[in-house]
Amino acid sequence: MISCNAFRANLRPGSSEPELLEHLRHCDACLDHAVGVDPDFLFRSIGGEELVPPGGVEAFTHDVMQQLHVRTTENRLAHRVLSWPRRLAVAATIAAGITGAAVVWQHEQHAFVSVPPIAAVTPKPISHMAAATSLTTKPVVETYDSKNATIVEVPSEGANDVKVVMIFDDQLPADL
Amino acid sequence: MIPTNQTIEPDDRQLVETIRGGDPGAFEVLVRRKTSKVYSLCYRIIGNAEDAKDISQLVFIKLWENLEKYDPQYAFDTWLYRMVTNVAIDFMRNKQSRDNAVNSNLRLVKTSFDAEQGVVIQRKEVESVFNAVSSCLSPKQKTIFVMNQMDDMPSSEIAKVLGCRESTVRNHLFNARKLMQQQLKKQFPEYSRLWKEQQ
Repeated sequence: MISCNAFRANLRPGSSEPELLEHLRHCDACLDHAVGVDPDFLFRSIGGEELVPPGGVEAFTHDVMQQLHVRTTENRLAHRVLSWPRRLAVAATIAAGITGAAVVWQHEQHAFVSVPPIAAVTPKPISHMAAATSLTTKPVVETYDSKNATIVEVPSEGANDVKVVMIFDDQLPADL
Repeated sequence: MIPTNQTIEPDDRQLVETIRGGDPGAFEVLVRRKTSKVYSLCYRIIGNAEDAKDISQLVFIKLWENLEKYDPQYAFDTWLYRMVTNVAIDFMRNKQSRDNAVNSNLRLVKTSFDAEQGVVIQRKEVESVFNAVSSCLSPKQKTIFVMNQMDDMPSSEIAKVLGCRESTVRNHLFNARKLMQQQLKKQFPEYSRLWKEQQ
């Protein structure tokens, strides 16, 4: 540190040379003189020195590292909870949901198909027509007489209606 | 060449690279190296040891969290100071709004002072005078004043830290000095008188 004489001789308003500032910040005797030269030196005199936090640098560093450790652990734990169990659970739930929905949908499709569809009903007239054609191939029985037969006439509504009779006979040929 | 046992300390950039490489021990070295710088600046801006300690710890935690964003082509201290000033200014703004709410109904009652009596400046007292007088400054003004007058940073460097123009820094400094002189006159006429007489 420079001497008080050197300090007082060299100090000018606004001086910021490191050796002058160092003297200003350590010499109580020269403080009044410095403020007289430049009032800004009043508050400038309390700067410069590096301060130490309460408890010292080591304790401070230890606290910071501990806080970081806690934060890092918290973050890691949070990530772990999210990663394996949750991801698996979510994946399993989604898979089960999709499978269930597919099974239900398929089941419903089958049930729908088993109900006779319109297309399945339409062949009916075809079978009727087939039956009609087969009937035409059969011999038309105009008269029938048998002692064992029971003939029942179906009542008709009009005079022009075809008369239908039902014949019950054990000896009636099968193709009739 | 004679081999020496002297180990070469890595500089700040090298330390940051080591930390990025996944070595938390290097961060501990960095914290130890920068604690005094960070704490001093925080203490001078905030004016309270415990608050300054808490803010300094917060700065280092933010530093750890944002280390990936540091661009090594810029000086590490500039980036660190930017973080310190941001955290400290935020704290000051919150504190000011809280203090304003509490003190809105209070008035300064000061004992009468004999302006003619002689004054010998006590260094210890200057710190409390500064804390009282600087309370009229905005957090940014105070931060700039502290960096310039107490940390001896040139206005060009402060502009880099705060990301503003040098002229803005000089304006803030000018206004801060003016406001503090007014406050000194009001609150500490003994210093004000000394100031006037010797100007």
